[in-house]
Amino acid sequence: MHWLTEPFQTEFMQRAFVAAIIIGVVAPVVGTWVVLRRMANLGDAMSHGTLAGVGLAYAAGINVLFGAMGAGLLIAVLLLTFSSNRRLGQETVITVLGTAFFALGVVVISRLDTGVELTHFLFGRVLTVTWGDIWLNLGLGGGAVLVVLALFGELRLATFDHVQAEQVGVRVELVQAVLVLLLAVVVVISLRAVGTVMSVTMLVTPAATARLLARTLRQMTVLGVVFGVTEGVGGLMLSYHLEAAPGATIGLLSAAVFAVVFAITLPRRMPHHHRPLG
Amino acid sequence: MSHGHHHPDTVLDVDHLGVRYGHTEALYDVSFRVAHGEMIGVIGPNGAGKSTMFKAICGLVNHTGVVEVNGVHCHDHTDRMDLAYIPQRNDSDLNFPITVGELVLAGRRRFRHWWGRPNAHDREVASESLAKVFLEGTERKALTELSGGQLQRAYLARALAQQASVVLLDEALSGVDQPTTAELFDVFETLAAEGTALLVATHDLALARRRFTRCLAVNGTVRGDGPPAQVLSAEVLDSTFGSAGHRALAD
Repeated sequence: MHWLTEPFQTEFMQRAFVAAIIIGVVAPVVGTWVVLRRMANLGDAMSHGTLAGVGLAYAAGINVLFGAMGAGLLIAVLLLTFSSNRRLGQETVITVLGTAFFALGVVVISRLDTGVELTHFLFGRVLTVTWGDIWLNLGLGGGAVLVVLALFGELRLATFDHVQAEQVGVRVELVQAVLVLLLAVVVVISLRAVGTVMSVTMLVTPAATARLLARTLRQMTVLGVVFGVTEGVGGLMLSYHLEAAPGATIGLLSAAVFAVVFAITLPRRMPHHHRPLG
Repeated sequence: MSHGHHHPDTVLDVDHLGVRYGHTEALYDVSFRVAHGEMIGVIGPNGAGKSTMFKAICGLVNHTGVVEVNGVHCHDHTDRMDLAYIPQRNDSDLNFPITVGELVLAGRRRFRHWWGRPNAHDREVASESLAKVFLEGTERKALTELSGGQLQRAYLARALAQQASVVLLDEALSGVDQPTTAELFDVFETLAAEGTALLVATHDLALARRRFTRCLAVNGTVRGDGPPAQVLSAEVLDSTFGSAGHRALAD
């Protein structure tokens, strides 16, 4: 029992757990749609790209979360403007933008003489989370969850069959734009705790694990949250006892859970379960 | 430009419709009228512009010309929610976690705002629509539990739930076996009798001759329009299909 309660003794660990729970709830709620719409590479580009804003904000002495938010917004706008280029294709534009912003962030941070390590931003420092960060994350994350709940029906229609959705009055492009913004929000709230690189793990892996088990959207969202919170809190505990990097431990635990669920559900996806003919 | 005054029987009025994709003219000068309860077979070879025509009529691609639904000039797709379009090969992911009931309820979206939720009446209409296509009681099934023919009927039920005056089916019959085709035609005929107009794109000229009251031959533009016997003549088929038309008819 001591093994379980020991990590909660100090205040900085308590803050870290609260931060992990917020991410564990918000990331899979948004991530469900990232997985279903096959937008994982967009999440990846967004998570890397925000480093530019983080670096610039840090250099200017502003809260890095605001920098990340600014960069996230800018990336969202650029993506929505340029990703429909027919000659290049969406994933190319997404990758070019993501890596360019990431490179800018690395250059800016490497030029600073403050001794701050690049890895702090890439992989997070969950133990440095302040109560101020937590309130900000709670506000942003709570807002993101409310937006997803309000748009649940529209997201379902636009994702399943965008042609029919448009025909019955769903504003498919607006729904897509809102989702890209929500993606930026998830990256921002993940920044301190798991870092920019690992934020895409929290966005995709718990939702993908839930996808393997769920029959309905509601189930997928709820299961995603269960996985997200369990993996966030569990990963943090493990990292405490193993004295390993928290963000990466959470990421590793998420991947391990995914692998187990994937193996368990494998027989279900075997060929004899394919659609009947006729 | 319009044909002038609106005829009371006309539900869909297509006037000089044209679509360009870059430098390619996919469709030009397409004009025809559809009356309530008409069942029209749309024939033409692959790449003739049948799908483009359906999408343009529904406002899903940019076009020139005028589309009027129930006498109202349409500007964008939101003016055309009285049309239901069932695409050819459904791009949608059939493993998507959605039930048959939710699929059919999607048709009801046109009657509410984005923040609204389906109400008891919507659910009632959805159930009735499923019953009309012989899928009663399947609301809670996952899409993967349906056979190919049942899936086509579920899409048709969604169009019924939309309570559309015109249903446009793009190759709804390809890949569907004969008993299912017969079942679908029974449904089409019931709908037509109730006043819904149906435009069904098909490759099957023999079927077009047997089951439709009117045929529309399309290749770039309208090559023939009238009763099957008239449209499926050597002359029109030549103009629509080239020499392939005769082979198709012989089949």
